[in-house]
Amino acid sequence: MKVLLMGHPNVGKSVFFNRLTGANVTESNYPGTTVDFTKGYMKIDGEDVELIDVPGTFSLDPKDKAEEVAVAILYENKDVKVICVIDASKIERGVYLALEILEEGYPIVIALNMWDAAVDKNIQIDINNLQRILGVAVVPTVAISGEGIKELTSRLKEARPVEIDDIIRNAGGLT
Amino acid sequence: MKLTIDQRWDLIDKIAKQTITFGEYRHTLKDAIGEFTVKPLTGIPIAIAVMYAFWSIFGSFAGFFTDGFFVRLFDAYWLPWLQEVFPGQGGWLYTIMVDAGGIEGGEFVLSDNCLESFGVLTSGLFVAIGVVLPAIVIFYLMLALLEDIGYMPRLAVLIDTMLHKIGLHGYAIVPTILSLGCNVPGVTATRILETKKQRFIMMTLLAIFIPCGAQIGIMQDVIPGLMGWILLYLIIGYFIFGYILNKIVPGKAPEFLIDVPPYRRPMLSNIAKKVWGRIAGFFKVAIPFVLLGAAIVGVLYQIGVIRFLGDALAPVFVGWFGVPKETAGPLIAAFLRKDLAVAQLSVIEMTEYQMITAVVLVSIYFPCVATFAMMLKEGWKELLGAMAVLAVVVFAYGGLIHLIGILLGVA
Repeated sequence: MKVLLMGHPNVGKSVFFNRLTGANVTESNYPGTTVDFTKGYMKIDGEDVELIDVPGTFSLDPKDKAEEVAVAILYENKDVKVICVIDASKIERGVYLALEILEEGYPIVIALNMWDAAVDKNIQIDINNLQRILGVAVVPTVAISGEGIKELTSRLKEARPVEIDDIIRNAGGLT
Repeated sequence: MKLTIDQRWDLIDKIAKQTITFGEYRHTLKDAIGEFTVKPLTGIPIAIAVMYAFWSIFGSFAGFFTDGFFVRLFDAYWLPWLQEVFPGQGGWLYTIMVDAGGIEGGEFVLSDNCLESFGVLTSGLFVAIGVVLPAIVIFYLMLALLEDIGYMPRLAVLIDTMLHKIGLHGYAIVPTILSLGCNVPGVTATRILETKKQRFIMMTLLAIFIPCGAQIGIMQDVIPGLMGWILLYLIIGYFIFGYILNKIVPGKAPEFLIDVPPYRRPMLSNIAKKVWGRIAGFFKVAIPFVLLGAAIVGVLYQIGVIRFLGDALAPVFVGWFGVPKETAGPLIAAFLRKDLAVAQLSVIEMTEYQMITAVVLVSIYFPCVATFAMMLKEGWKELLGAMAVLAVVVFAYGGLIHLIGILLGVA
């Protein structure tokens, strides 16, 4: 199995990557730290899983070379699962990228990262409802302390493609 | 099924309404500090203070270890011991590995310090471990702190207007600062810039004008008094040629949008990991290159190539740039390692102004081989373009610096 870590710049993808694979890619607090991809390996339920740390991108419509790298990796790898890392205090735009990836037919799970910062900001997120509407696993995480990482990997097997029509129906239709 | 952008946002709106509630948010001290450091009125003085602190900590830390420890270790123990035990004094292997010595009153005399000896095991090791290692340790320690706290994006916002004048925008500060450590990651970091024009300008400018941490470290040690002038010439060159490139390179230089992340407390483990990664990389890549560079220059001296090049290029060196023809040797070393080149320059006899010119030339004349390889990886067309710019810059700017010296009456 192959898994891509995708999300906006500076949401913690590289922190996940290092935690999951024991690798050593650079982590910093600024967008654009990762501009190339790194592969690593981890084991889930005894199975070897290849994990790719993808540069951050805001959408599948790249605006710089690092984003081009990100989008190219997604399109080159058809048979993969994607962990969408979303900043829990900026959910809307994170979901934008997640929807784009779903529209391309990829199975995903969502990590709502920096959950602690969202709690500090008094942002309440109805995880169950979000899972129901999107039809994918949504896991609150704090990557730097490792919170939620186990659940995230264990729910990777639930990931399957979702029809956008279903999401629209679950959300109560478009305007 | 694929949605249009509007439909997607519409859907997200619906989802968000049903799943997210924003509670009351209180402005915290962290937010206040965050704003304080990004608003120009307060942010610019703070940025200057941060850079100054960076600079003085860098200088005193590196100086403490180099002058207080390594100079003594290498000059008082390592050099005399090697001169003693290494066989075949005066032979070619001895000359290259340990000490090229000098001729005084018709007699061969040994060097008394590790800069003058020019040997692979003496000058090479001293430059790599005694001078550059402390410099990069402190540089990357402080860089990691700035990165992890989240200061870099704020610096980018503050310097945005200035960098627009040279076709870039604030975020170009990231490749620029990374290049101050080593140009190689700096070149890769140009990928965060949006257009080809911006990437080309950035890559060219950093390859030419940004001295790497190793070079700054050695300058700090061997020519501390002249370093201010050298950096000033490089910074001025960065902006002059950036301005010109912006005018002549076709393409767009768009505005940038950036997420300024909140300040975060840096995690010790991450800082340690990053600094350690740099040190490990230094031992694996940089040290072999320094030793190899010292060896190659040593051999070229021995077989007379450097003397030949110096004589052949003397009109250019002496006439156009106003530096001694012996500068040819260090310029060859500079292709492998700039730090080694500066160390070799420092023992050539010349005036202060010639030294300033020579070190600026070493910085701008050609990127080191590692940077060269990385630029090639990013695109050979860009590399060729950058090399063309470089050739023009070396002659124009080198000549200009000479001219300024003549006008000031110091060259």
